[in-house]
Amino acid sequence: MVAQGRIVWVSGPAVKADGMADAKMYETVSVGEAKLIGEVIRLTGDVAFIQVYESTSGLKPGEPVVGTGNPLSVLLGPGIIGQIYDGIQRPLKDLADKSGSFIGRGITTTPVDMTKKYHFNPTVAVGDEVEPGNIIGTVPETSLIEHKILVPPNHAGGKITKIVSEGDYDLETEIAVVEKDGQSAPLKMYHKWPVRSPRPYLKRYDPTIPLLTGQRVIDTFFPLAKGGTGSIPGAFGTGKTVTLHQIAKWADSQVVVYIGCGERGNEMTEVLVEFPELKDPRTGKPLMDRTVLVANTSNMPVAAREASIYTGVTIAEYYRDMGYDVVLVADSTSRWAEALREMSGRLEEMPAEEGYPSYLASRLAEFYERAGRVRASGSPERDGSVSLVGAVSPSGGDFTEPVTTHTMRFIKTFWALDAKLAYSRHYPSINWMNSYSGYLADIAKWWSENISDDWLKLRGETYGILQREDTLKEIVRLLGPEALPDEEKLILEVARMIKIGILQQNSFDDVDTYCSPEKQFKLMKLLVDFYNQGQQALKDGAALADIRAMPVIASLLKARMEVKDDEMDKLEKVQNEMVEQFKNVTGVKVSN
Amino acid sequence: MTTQGGVQYSKIAEIKGPLVIVDGVENAAFDELVEIETNEGEKRLGKVLEVGNGKAIVQVFEGTTGLSVSGTNAKFVGKVMEMPVSEEVLGRVFDGLGRPKDGLPDPVASSFLDINGAPMNPEQREYPKDFIQTGVSVIDGMLTLVRGQKLPIFSGSGMSHNILAAQIARQASVVGTSDEFAVVFAAIGVQFSEAEYFRRSLEESGALKRSVLFLNLADDPAIERIITPRVALTVAEYLAYDLGMHVLVILTDMTNYAEALREISAAREEVPGRKGYPGYLYTDLSTIYERAGRLRGKNGSVTQMPILSMPSDDITHPIPDLTGYITEGQIVLGRDLFRQGVYPPVNILMSLSRIMKDGIGEGRTRADHQEISNQNYDAYSRAQEVRALAGIVGKAGLTEVDLNYMNFGDEFENKFLTQAIDENRTIEETLGLQWNTISNLPKNELTKVKDKFIEQYYKE
Amino acid sequence: MPSLAELSLEKTVDQVLEKNRSQLLESLKLSFSESQQQLSDSLPELEKEYERILSEGQKEAEKIEKQIVGSSDLEVRNKALLLVEEHTSMVFEKAKEQIKNTKRDSNYSNLISTLLTEATEALGTSEITVFTNSTDKDIVQSAISKISGADLSSEQIDCMGGVKITSKDGSMTFDNTIDARFERMKPLIRKNIAAKFSLGN
Repeated sequence: MVAQGRIVWVSGPAVKADGMADAKMYETVSVGEAKLIGEVIRLTGDVAFIQVYESTSGLKPGEPVVGTGNPLSVLLGPGIIGQIYDGIQRPLKDLADKSGSFIGRGITTTPVDMTKKYHFNPTVAVGDEVEPGNIIGTVPETSLIEHKILVPPNHAGGKITKIVSEGDYDLETEIAVVEKDGQSAPLKMYHKWPVRSPRPYLKRYDPTIPLLTGQRVIDTFFPLAKGGTGSIPGAFGTGKTVTLHQIAKWADSQVVVYIGCGERGNEMTEVLVEFPELKDPRTGKPLMDRTVLVANTSNMPVAAREASIYTGVTIAEYYRDMGYDVVLVADSTSRWAEALREMSGRLEEMPAEEGYPSYLASRLAEFYERAGRVRASGSPERDGSVSLVGAVSPSGGDFTEPVTTHTMRFIKTFWALDAKLAYSRHYPSINWMNSYSGYLADIAKWWSENISDDWLKLRGETYGILQREDTLKEIVRLLGPEALPDEEKLILEVARMIKIGILQQNSFDDVDTYCSPEKQFKLMKLLVDFYNQGQQALKDGAALADIRAMPVIASLLKARMEVKDDEMDKLEKVQNEMVEQFKNVTGVKVSN
Repeated sequence: MTTQGGVQYSKIAEIKGPLVIVDGVENAAFDELVEIETNEGEKRLGKVLEVGNGKAIVQVFEGTTGLSVSGTNAKFVGKVMEMPVSEEVLGRVFDGLGRPKDGLPDPVASSFLDINGAPMNPEQREYPKDFIQTGVSVIDGMLTLVRGQKLPIFSGSGMSHNILAAQIARQASVVGTSDEFAVVFAAIGVQFSEAEYFRRSLEESGALKRSVLFLNLADDPAIERIITPRVALTVAEYLAYDLGMHVLVILTDMTNYAEALREISAAREEVPGRKGYPGYLYTDLSTIYERAGRLRGKNGSVTQMPILSMPSDDITHPIPDLTGYITEGQIVLGRDLFRQGVYPPVNILMSLSRIMKDGIGEGRTRADHQEISNQNYDAYSRAQEVRALAGIVGKAGLTEVDLNYMNFGDEFENKFLTQAIDENRTIEETLGLQWNTISNLPKNELTKVKDKFIEQYYKE
Repeated sequence: MPSLAELSLEKTVDQVLEKNRSQLLESLKLSFSESQQQLSDSLPELEKEYERILSEGQKEAEKIEKQIVGSSDLEVRNKALLLVEEHTSMVFEKAKEQIKNTKRDSNYSNLISTLLTEATEALGTSEITVFTNSTDKDIVQSAISKISGADLSSEQIDCMGGVKITSKDGSMTFDNTIDARFERMKPLIRKNIAAKFSLGN
């Protein structure tokens, strides 16, 4: 029995309807004559409080509200990759087909084309026993993704009594029938899943594999692990979006879900224009073939912004369940929190800090808890991961505001963007003193197995130089650099070189935009060598001015742009030049 | 706006601040336009903020001064607020609600458009990439404006933002095309003299006939300011997407807009966010700023240049802060430069044009544009550090390279940044000046420019 | 006869004079060539200055021309707008006159009934007081006799025709006089009239 009520009150995206005794919490409802999509978020007596995902302009008390009986769900099946959805999984392209350049209201669409035929290849046979999560067949979805057709997690499982043979079928075709206890249940290539419920898995692993992004300051200094959580807070103009785009472009995951949550329209357009043309550095295939976009820009209805995060993470979990590594980027969780605040305000709930609801922290915790590297349910055995990266837009760049502080409690990698660095055009403007990563120890094994045993040690030495510089800077600020002894001046010099040669990275430079782990390691090693040899040279009597004038410094600083990933021998040449030139500066001094 | 149909209610429950609460309302819609009639027969406009349980909360644009509980009528008009549009609006002056202010009749409308607009489908946007030459070196060279961009000017009280905006409005052109800009100017709570300066500036350049002015002046009703940018943008969208024009929209001063919003929020007793501004300020501002852009399959474009004065020059104040999160960069005017008499006093280190990279380079401006601009940023930032250092250790304590940076900094401000208010520089002139100033530095300091460009452009 | 001394003096004077003259000539020559140099040096400067004044004048002239052309264009357009408005008003007045004098036949009675129903529905009650003018009084009276709870007010209002109704408690009003409807239609009618003058768009 679905609820059939009547609007009694409208204020912005919030609507109250009476006669809703049959409604369930988080049920989706159709609101008003215009059949706007809404969701029940509170029930008091027979009055339902509804957040509406579309503009309520013109909505009147007295108009009907009809329940659907279903919670807000996403449709999971082939055809999702490459799409751009709004916050409630409506393809923006379909919306454009129906309402033109501007988004209309009351439009219903299907998230994927239900009539398109996919080539289904069964992997089970009649008589096989299946349980929830089992793969029953595969479908090539894009050039990069083989879509695994799963027995839905909420399906009873049982014995296969029918399975179609290999061939082309659309999504509504009954491809298999499963029987259990005399009950038979059909399977299609898609199923639906409520967005607010995490999808189940068998067990969770510790995150030990780095999520490589090709960004030196991330991979080398503040790494994220597959299945990990990271947050990137920063005032406007600090390059948050560019950094997130870089992660979405170059992260070594198989699927990327990018959520534009209350952000700029042109940024989504940029992704849409750029990604199909960019090639995945590992496979050479277009990046769009592994990307799903969820776009609920700032001027789109605020309630759908709240939903967009859940829509995105549920899609991410679905691909994880197929055994893929998925990165989800949410830009920005602050706008999502503001949507929560706005609805909470309309519900007249008692506010906590800065007007945010008291459940802000628990909602954030629930969201980040959906990250993880897991063994998926069902057979065959497979592991997948969801890594979550959330941008935070602290008001006034103040990291003590509620969204930033609560987020910091639930994430393990923190990339603090710094307006001062951005003003001096140091990009990415990740502040190396305020950022941290809780995965360093966990993933060190991977680096020593795959790149070098020295990785952790060198990383420590490099970071040590930056830390020393940070303390020395205070003295310089008070007394000027001449007050320092030469070996400390060399620290300043090398720190400057680390900043320019490693920490800075130009995302718009064809070579520099992506840096392989090997190159990252070698660049770091070069600079640490430079530092050690420099200190030795000073001890041997070399003049600092001569060291500073070494021509190799320019090569060291430009190597990030000049040396391609497949030209590591060039770095060796630089290394040799460096050794040679150190010999010279020491020799010159001695001969004097 | 003429007299509208709809039921008129005379039971006024409460009047507080800019709000009128009407009782016994059976048939009103959220966002509906309301016509308030006073005892004396004066008509004011408002809209429904909240409706239900027999009550409607109405926000009165022209303020509630002089309204009384008895004798005031509220007529619910049965539609949202609309702006009549046609090509005829060009060359016209309207008030803050879109009513003629130039003594001419209402424009004969070819359509009536909802002033709130509708969100542009991101999938249908065309990515902005056409370089707009403003003739102002610091903008063209280092903060390039692109068609369809929203690039605000963050200023402080008394600084030269309006002069700069007017100069841009006069000079803006797209190189290599004959496309002309239409200018939509919305004055939001500014002084008469500022609006008049702008009008005269357009008139003198012969641009008035392709301009539309909306004037809510400092002594006009404050709540009207909620509407002014919206009617202006409705007209701009019409000119851009229906008539295919390239429209530059100047909104000044958005701080007054946000204050009007705060006033309403306070009257509704909403839980405030920072500094008393409503928690939805970000979302609300976005419904204005996101109305800039280009659309696939349409010729025109809407480029926005909102101007806002930062209270106490504080860029972390909620209004510039939230604006910066929505707009595609910002042009920040610096008090120090302004005091030094530099025009335009743009603090480039705090300024940014996010989509510059897509509007410049080979085939658009010149191949070296991005790199020489990066190098100038870098050098100017270094020059500032050196200046600070010189403040401690004195000029004598500086190295030769440091002194080069000092010279660079001075020349950057005096020769590149500074220009006359009627000086219209081509992009070639601007890039040439950038190379001139950077040539104060020895070649090996230029780490952001490719060697081939140094060979080609460096001035020995 | 001059004395020797005088002679030698004269000689000396001559010598001095001669020397000075050559020096003078030398310096005169020099200064001449210098001044010539200066002149030729300053010529381009002068020319530049002259050109600058010219081009500025021209700029100014262009500016003024632009301004004049721009504003005269506008003026012509604005006059046209006013003209159209004037004619539109005339058309309106004529139309009003015609409506006022419309025959009160059965069609008109039907119209009144429709207006009444529409207004009652808008108020959501039939407990109403109805106002009209003296011409329509009788037609309205017969129309409201079908609505229970509706009364005709003895007070008459000034309008071309139609009705205005008020709920009995006085809290709601709906103006459905022909005047009010006319006003509501006005923007659309103006568009049609203006199109006939083929102006604007």
